[in-house]
Amino acid sequence: MPMLERADWYDIARDTNWTPKYVSQEALFPDVMTGAQGVPMAQWQSYDEPYKTSYPEYVRVQREKDAGAYSVKAALERSNIFASADPGWHSILKAHYGSLAVGEYAAMSGEARMVRFGQAPGMRNMATFGMLDENRHAQLQLYYPHDLVSKDRQFDWAQKAYHTNEWAAIAVRHTLDDLFMARSATETAIMLTFAFETGFTNMQFLGLAADAAETGDYTFASLVSSIQTDESRHAQIGGPALEVLIANGRKAEAQKLVDVAIARTWRLFAILTGPSMDYYTPIEHRKQSFKEFMQEWIVGQFERSLIELGLDLPWYWDKMIAEFEFQHHAYHLGLWFWRKTLWWNPAAAVTPECRAWLEEKYPGWNDTFGKCWDVITDNLLAGREDLTHPETLPVLCNMSQIPICAIPGNGWNVKDYPLDYEGRTYHFNSEIDRWVFEQDPVRYRDHMSLVDRFLAGEIQPPTLAGALAYMGLSPAEMGDDAHKYAWADAFRPDPLAKSAA
Amino acid sequence: MALFPVISNFQYDFVLQLVPVDTDNTMDEVAAAAAHHSVGRRVAAQPGKIVRVRRQGGADFFPRAMRLGETDIKPMETLEFIFCEA
Repeated sequence: MPMLERADWYDIARDTNWTPKYVSQEALFPDVMTGAQGVPMAQWQSYDEPYKTSYPEYVRVQREKDAGAYSVKAALERSNIFASADPGWHSILKAHYGSLAVGEYAAMSGEARMVRFGQAPGMRNMATFGMLDENRHAQLQLYYPHDLVSKDRQFDWAQKAYHTNEWAAIAVRHTLDDLFMARSATETAIMLTFAFETGFTNMQFLGLAADAAETGDYTFASLVSSIQTDESRHAQIGGPALEVLIANGRKAEAQKLVDVAIARTWRLFAILTGPSMDYYTPIEHRKQSFKEFMQEWIVGQFERSLIELGLDLPWYWDKMIAEFEFQHHAYHLGLWFWRKTLWWNPAAAVTPECRAWLEEKYPGWNDTFGKCWDVITDNLLAGREDLTHPETLPVLCNMSQIPICAIPGNGWNVKDYPLDYEGRTYHFNSEIDRWVFEQDPVRYRDHMSLVDRFLAGEIQPPTLAGALAYMGLSPAEMGDDAHKYAWADAFRPDPLAKSAA
Repeated sequence: MALFPVISNFQYDFVLQLVPVDTDNTMDEVAAAAAHHSVGRRVAAQPGKIVRVRRQGGADFFPRAMRLGETDIKPMETLEFIFCEA
């Protein structure tokens, strides 16, 4: 029997809207869950998903993808790639898995909300596949690192991180909760799929797969490529939703959602991808700096997408681009200095050769961030590693939950951006973070940063050691310098002194 | 006397830090407490100079002998710690 072409039956098959008889439309699709912002359901009929697929097609393709990824993993199981890779690469893997694997489950919930409460049949259909995608991503990214736990127990944090009060895990959770765990279907479409995925992760996964291949980690390269192809499909859910909102007079509301989501996503990118690209990746494998990557792939792509949809660039666009010069360097310094609070081992990557690379890519680095690293290096050379550890907590931004930091040394521009709200003073890293809070203070006001909890007596004993215990880090899991400080040897004036260190 | 947390924004350092001090502390003692977490760790010492305290963005420094309890500084207010000629 001849089969119809998909295009001949797709629209009818996926158009599952109906007129409810037993409950009201409002009860079936409450605005708080749909986020339709008053745009009637009939208007959402114009939603046209750019990527169309059927369930049998989806299953066939996904099966092939899974088979590909798992077969590469099996084929390379006995290879020496993991053992021979630079410790900086291991840190990239640990940071990646811990910060994202369980987050994929969160994304699955977000997709499920669009499946149930999406106003457009096309959105519900695409989100069904998106939900299955995210489940696959979570399973893959929990399974792969699980094999590595026997080699290095920090990989256990792929499973563990989200279930702890470790500060970076709180920062990721706070962001993802805001972008898609506690949002309506329409908001999730815009904030998760358009801003977070189209804007950032889709591009980042492409870059990460290329880096993995360059490093020789073909297992991770195939894993990330496999995930990226899903992302590039379901990330297209948000665009048509934005078109519907804009066409129905809701541009300002849509713009705000985009602006909040980009602001929040940028922070996570700066702290995870920034140090990975400019520090953890061994210098011989770096193809472009984080700043170059952001300018070429994120800014270039995103600007086009925003303008094509009829949106404006976020009001803070120039401020964000200015941060490409310094914010991730500050985050890297903080990650390294408070390394015992991490589930990975940050690679300092400040040898003379690395510093020359940083100075070339970021003119002025030696006169700013380099000044702090000078002191750290001198302490290591003098046998005073104790002075390269903190004795107090950094102050965390009440939006990003990441330490408030900026340029040190001769470009010193560190500043608190405080806000008094209902008798409490909140502290922010920038005008952008404070602006996000001001858009919906009731949403954010009750969250306690790790420092707030410390001051409220929730962390006992109230010491740095107490804070480490609160974060769930056992001594064997706490981060340390990825290369055991071997990089500092390059600064010793007498080569013979290396062996005595 | 009472424990009093302030936020240190130390000149030439890269990050804001929590610094527990006491209402009985003088501004010089507050500055020393903040310096403990920055100078010699990420900020080079400046022999011969002293560190003065001011509000973030403020033009004037608090008098060196003034006690924290005598000021209107609020808990968890961000203070700037600046190297000055002795």
